[in-house]
Amino acid sequence: MELMFWWVVPLGAAVAGLAAWAAWRPGRNTSARRRPAAHADRLTRLPEYQAALRRHRQWLVVAATACGVLLASTLLAAARPVNVDTVRPEQHNRDIVLCLDASGSMSSADAEVVDVFARLAEDFEGERIGLTIFDSTAIQVFPLTDDYEYAREQLALARDAFNGKPGTSGFLDGTWSGRGSSLIGDGLASCITSFPPSRDPENSKQQNAGQQGSRQPRSRSVILATDNFVSGDPIMTLQEAAGMAKEREARVYALNPGDFDYGTDADQPGAQLRAAAESSGGAYYALDSPDAVPGIVRAVQETEKSTLQGAPRAVVTDLPNLPLAVALLAGLVLAVASWRLRP
Amino acid sequence: MTSLLHRVKSKMAIFAHRKARGMLDGEYGSVFRGRSLDFDDLRAYVPGDEVRDIDWKATARHGSPLIRRYVAVRRQTVLLITDTGRNMAAEAAGGETKKDIAIMALGVIGYLAHRHGDVVGLVCGDAHKTTSLPAKSGEAHLERLLRHVHNNATMDSAASRLEDQLEHVARTVKGRFLLFVVADEMVATPSLSGLLRRLRAQHEILWLTVRDADLTAEAPWFSVHDSSPLMGHLARSPRVAAAYSQAVTDRDSGRTDMLRQAGITGGSVSGSPEVITELFALLERHRRAG
Repeated sequence: MELMFWWVVPLGAAVAGLAAWAAWRPGRNTSARRRPAAHADRLTRLPEYQAALRRHRQWLVVAATACGVLLASTLLAAARPVNVDTVRPEQHNRDIVLCLDASGSMSSADAEVVDVFARLAEDFEGERIGLTIFDSTAIQVFPLTDDYEYAREQLALARDAFNGKPGTSGFLDGTWSGRGSSLIGDGLASCITSFPPSRDPENSKQQNAGQQGSRQPRSRSVILATDNFVSGDPIMTLQEAAGMAKEREARVYALNPGDFDYGTDADQPGAQLRAAAESSGGAYYALDSPDAVPGIVRAVQETEKSTLQGAPRAVVTDLPNLPLAVALLAGLVLAVASWRLRP
Repeated sequence: MTSLLHRVKSKMAIFAHRKARGMLDGEYGSVFRGRSLDFDDLRAYVPGDEVRDIDWKATARHGSPLIRRYVAVRRQTVLLITDTGRNMAAEAAGGETKKDIAIMALGVIGYLAHRHGDVVGLVCGDAHKTTSLPAKSGEAHLERLLRHVHNNATMDSAASRLEDQLEHVARTVKGRFLLFVVADEMVATPSLSGLLRRLRAQHEILWLTVRDADLTAEAPWFSVHDSSPLMGHLARSPRVAAAYSQAVTDRDSGRTDMLRQAGITGGSVSGSPEVITELFALLERHRRAG
């Protein structure tokens, strides 16, 4: 416990001491307004008077004590006793877009990813999650939302679809209407556009005005599950999409269930994907089996969480309860005592 | 500053007009006038004179009562005894300073004595010292005595201790005097009682008590003895007030008993307007007591 205005205490004590000195300073003639009487022992010898005087003195002591306690406790309260804690607030202002390659080779990995997120979404608090699937064209299944009920529902549907459950193939409708298949660059770019436009300094004022006051910046991450086998002619290459991600401050975490690179050539699909992911500040994971997905996703979540932890902040909590309660008590005692002491 | 004696005389003049003229003189004369068998002269009777002093034959001849006067055997000495300690600077029951009442009473008796040609002395003091002013005649001397009392009985004086003054009189005074003691509400003690008996054996004593202030009255009091304040509101609580009035009654009866046992005529006053009436009654009582 600390005192925020510690100087109030010595100041108040000094003032109280000065007042006490002024009240009882030596040489003050207390009998100035009193009238002289002889043979006071007529009264002071009486046992009844002595008993009354003793009671009076006891109440005086009580009143003086209560007065002192009241003064001390109100001084303490005026000095603002506070508890200063250092907290590292965990931020729940992440935006996560699941960007899943819906090509046949990926379905088991996709199913794992959506399954993990369906479960993660149960603990979400303020995070937003979106789902975009792509093959030759990208489909936004649901945009960034914090309606977790809905998100879980959609994720469950997606999982069933990826698992090839009968009657769910309609979920992936519309992902083959373009030319070619697995147009990774286009898909990633579509996912990136799920995020609101970038907040560069010029825009921020406008945005703040439009979005009712300043809002905390939200972190953006893309879970990109793909094997990076492009067949066709994408509008945007993977590099361009990665550049877009960087521009929008979105980190790309790439999961590659089929890293079949031959050697360390930079042109290999796995290496390209790694370069794209790392250029955006994310990471690249090559999966040996779909079972590894949950662990990797959780690892990604953890790293995200730790990078997102806010700066340590001092939280100041006022603790006026005890001194004020004591002051109230002392005040009550003082009131009773002064009622007893009334002439 | 007006003369203290002058004030006393004007008070007495008012009294004399209100009652019969010369009444106090008659009372004083019949009490203190030393008698002898040597006839002096006749004078008109004034109420208060001893009836046995009336010369009935002369009265019958004259048509109005006449009193025989005798040549005094000796000059009486009246010794005024009072307290000039702090207690006398306190308030009396009537609200005046006790000293003023005492000076009035001393002045009346002193003036009466002066009118009868007696000499008046003063013994006064406090716990530290006792002053004795020799008996002399004359108004100037009387004024000096009163002034001495007035100047010495202040708040700065030492504590009161009238026993010391009485002791002083018992030790130093030879011969038979008239002692006029003005005291306050002293408490009766065996030693004081013995002292008074011892004095009474030698002298004639008149004792006037100046009543002290009522400590349960609605006023903030402080004790002149040690300057400590008294808690008036505590004293006014029913229990304490009852105990106080009982204690005061006991104290008064103790003092009255002590004076009666010693054969001293006592009276009490609480304000200067009562002084002359009370002194008259006191002299009357003393005369009857013989």
